[in-house]
Amino acid sequence: MAGDPMKKQTMYFRMVTSSLIRRRSRMLVALLAVAIGATVLSGLVTIYYDIPRQMGQEFRSYGANLIFIPSGDGSALSMDAADAAADFIPADDIVGMAPYRYETVKINEQPFMAAGTDMEEVKKTSPYWFVSGEWPENDGSVLVGQEVADYIRLSPGDTFTVTGTDIKDESFSRDFIVSGIVQTGGTEEGFIFLSLSDLEGLMGNEGELDVVECSISASQTVLDDIVKQITENVEGVTPRLVKRVTQSEGTVLTKLQALVYLVTVIVLLLTMICVATTMMAVVAERRKEIGLKKALGAANKSIVMEFLGECLFLGGLGGLLGVVLGFVFAQTISVNVFSRSISFQPLLIPVTLAVSIAITALACLLPVRSATDVDPAIVLRGE
Amino acid sequence: MFWRMVRGAFFRQKGKMFMIAFTIALGASLATAMLNVMLDVGDKVNQELKTYGANINVVPKEASLLDDLYGVEKDSGVSDQYLKEAELGNIKTIFWAFNIVDFTPYFDTKVKLISGDSEVKLVGTWFNHHLELPTGESLDTGMKNMKNWWEVSGDWLTDQDENSAMVGSLVSGRNNIKAGDVITIEFQGKTKELTVKGIFNAGSDEDEAIYVPLQVAQKLAEHEGLVSSVEVSALTTPDNELSRRAAQNPDGLSIKEWETWYCTAYVSSISYQIQEVITDSVAKPIRQVAESEGAILEKTQLLMLLITILSLVGSALGISNLVTASVMERSREFGLLKAIGAHNSPVSWLVLTEILVTAVVGGTAGYFAGLGFAQIIGQSVFGSAIDIKPMVIPLVAVLVFLVTLAGSIPSIRLLLSLRPAEVLHGR
Repeated sequence: MAGDPMKKQTMYFRMVTSSLIRRRSRMLVALLAVAIGATVLSGLVTIYYDIPRQMGQEFRSYGANLIFIPSGDGSALSMDAADAAADFIPADDIVGMAPYRYETVKINEQPFMAAGTDMEEVKKTSPYWFVSGEWPENDGSVLVGQEVADYIRLSPGDTFTVTGTDIKDESFSRDFIVSGIVQTGGTEEGFIFLSLSDLEGLMGNEGELDVVECSISASQTVLDDIVKQITENVEGVTPRLVKRVTQSEGTVLTKLQALVYLVTVIVLLLTMICVATTMMAVVAERRKEIGLKKALGAANKSIVMEFLGECLFLGGLGGLLGVVLGFVFAQTISVNVFSRSISFQPLLIPVTLAVSIAITALACLLPVRSATDVDPAIVLRGE
Repeated sequence: MFWRMVRGAFFRQKGKMFMIAFTIALGASLATAMLNVMLDVGDKVNQELKTYGANINVVPKEASLLDDLYGVEKDSGVSDQYLKEAELGNIKTIFWAFNIVDFTPYFDTKVKLISGDSEVKLVGTWFNHHLELPTGESLDTGMKNMKNWWEVSGDWLTDQDENSAMVGSLVSGRNNIKAGDVITIEFQGKTKELTVKGIFNAGSDEDEAIYVPLQVAQKLAEHEGLVSSVEVSALTTPDNELSRRAAQNPDGLSIKEWETWYCTAYVSSISYQIQEVITDSVAKPIRQVAESEGAILEKTQLLMLLITILSLVGSALGISNLVTASVMERSREFGLLKAIGAHNSPVSWLVLTEILVTAVVGGTAGYFAGLGFAQIIGQSVFGSAIDIKPMVIPLVAVLVFLVTLAGSIPSIRLLLSLRPAEVLHGR
């Protein structure tokens, strides 16, 4: 038996592989158990890491969480300053950015508030607006708030005339088509929304804004940082967080993440114990084999090594299967729930592999230990 | 004889049976915990989303445009419309009263700040109002619960602080007001001194106003018993096609649809019911809050459902795997039983009974352990207990039963198909 190390190693591999092949059905059971554990592990951890990002996107349906208002006393916000401020926000995180300019105009000699804005951006910053009719697509068509529409009896498709005086005190008059009626439940229902260029055309000057609404997909700390940077670096703009949205988002997101975290921990713990018991059942069956080997003169250490070799193989293969299946599973969930694909966490591959090998090894060693500790004669006799 | 053999099996292989029972218990507890949490997560998250504030705004008919649109001052003689304070308790008597979490009335007026802004919005409201309902119940409600994102330096007001006020950060910044200062306000020639108890930062229009207890503002404007608007925070069900149609025109529904709509906690039906109990009012869903809540609620529920399915599948596979492994292990026993003349069916029954008895024991233990896990999740995440749903019991029972059968039957059949001599020989 004391041959050269090469031979010993070949023998070791032969024993491990033949043990795996001879006992196909049992090994399949064990492999399945490990793979299930690994799938749950990698799937849940991927979801856990992706939840804040995915949910953060959902929370953007609450609308703007940061607004720019003019600094100082009521002067207008210049377009350039707003653009300069926007540069401090990471471009990938911007969901939408809608500029607003408010002016008082008259319809039938009654004053109304008109808001000039960028409709495409409004759709992104205020996804909760309920528009009956169509969103305006070209100049000359406008959105009218529900209250205004009720008050002057407008419905989509109607034409009305807007009059007023521009900044040089010259009067203007222009016809607009109502493309849709907007319902929000808030003050927006009392406004008329037209494109910024239309309003600038009426008023006769450009580049002035009253407020810019930004919807940013970022955590509270990142937002605080953005506010700080803009305050320090950009003149003429005061960034303000919309507290109701940012604060509440933080609270709810933390809760949700804690929920998924706890669920993940409990599910993992239970699954891992399940895997371990199955492995123990599979190994416990081989007490006789261990007894026989010991009777033939095998050292405890070499028996343990042999089992560890099998575990390495089972844990590795099961872990790999689990990584793939877990990702497929997390992807399915993400696509179904959030309609977005999930980002793959490369770090999970080694972690999943390590955990599945460790658990398999631990589950093997317990019964193997108890079998090797006992006198082979007793084991062989079946006691 | 049959039962003696079953009992014998338990005593002889205590360790193994215990392990099976343990695994089944783990699987069952996982299923119980996840199902309970999943069924309750909707309510819990809905409660959390209340931090976004009110989702229904109640205003008097016709009056809503005045302030926002024309900048027309209230009390300037035109059609001033108000709601009656005395009717507010009715909000808690509607069909969905149980879903009304909080509500707060507001009385808005404009005042002059002596030694400061010429015009400031003064809002009278409830801070922590104790209300006796017509039904005999009582309720504490008010701003303090509804605006929990406000950052207050100093203290919150209470309804009894008739000579104090809370000042918005923008007003205080402009006029250099600090907590503890005394400010004087003037309304149509009358003046009143108020001690500033706190400065708040709400991050919205509210920062432009001074808040006082409701009766103070009403007395100042000589409009006792009237309020300008009410904000209501209600637990709602996400909108669907029916509720959208109903929101546009409740009269356009068939009687059956109307009943379904009225008896479901849609934001539109709750608004409708509030309008019924408050004279001349319009209750409008605040879409920003109502709509988003629905979206987030649906996503969370779906997410939990899918995680639950994963853990159910995981525990099902785990259990059936172990059962398979432990049945396979007994090939020699099968061989022996068959060699001494046992028929296939009694042998299968014997093993099945053993395993099912184990499953019942393990499943029961697991169910109670699962309730414990569910409560751990509920307490640590939401700070409240998870409702125990009785429907989880049959679900878990069926799951455990099916999974054990699925795990044992194929392996029993496999072993029975082997020839006793070969098995006993050890091949």
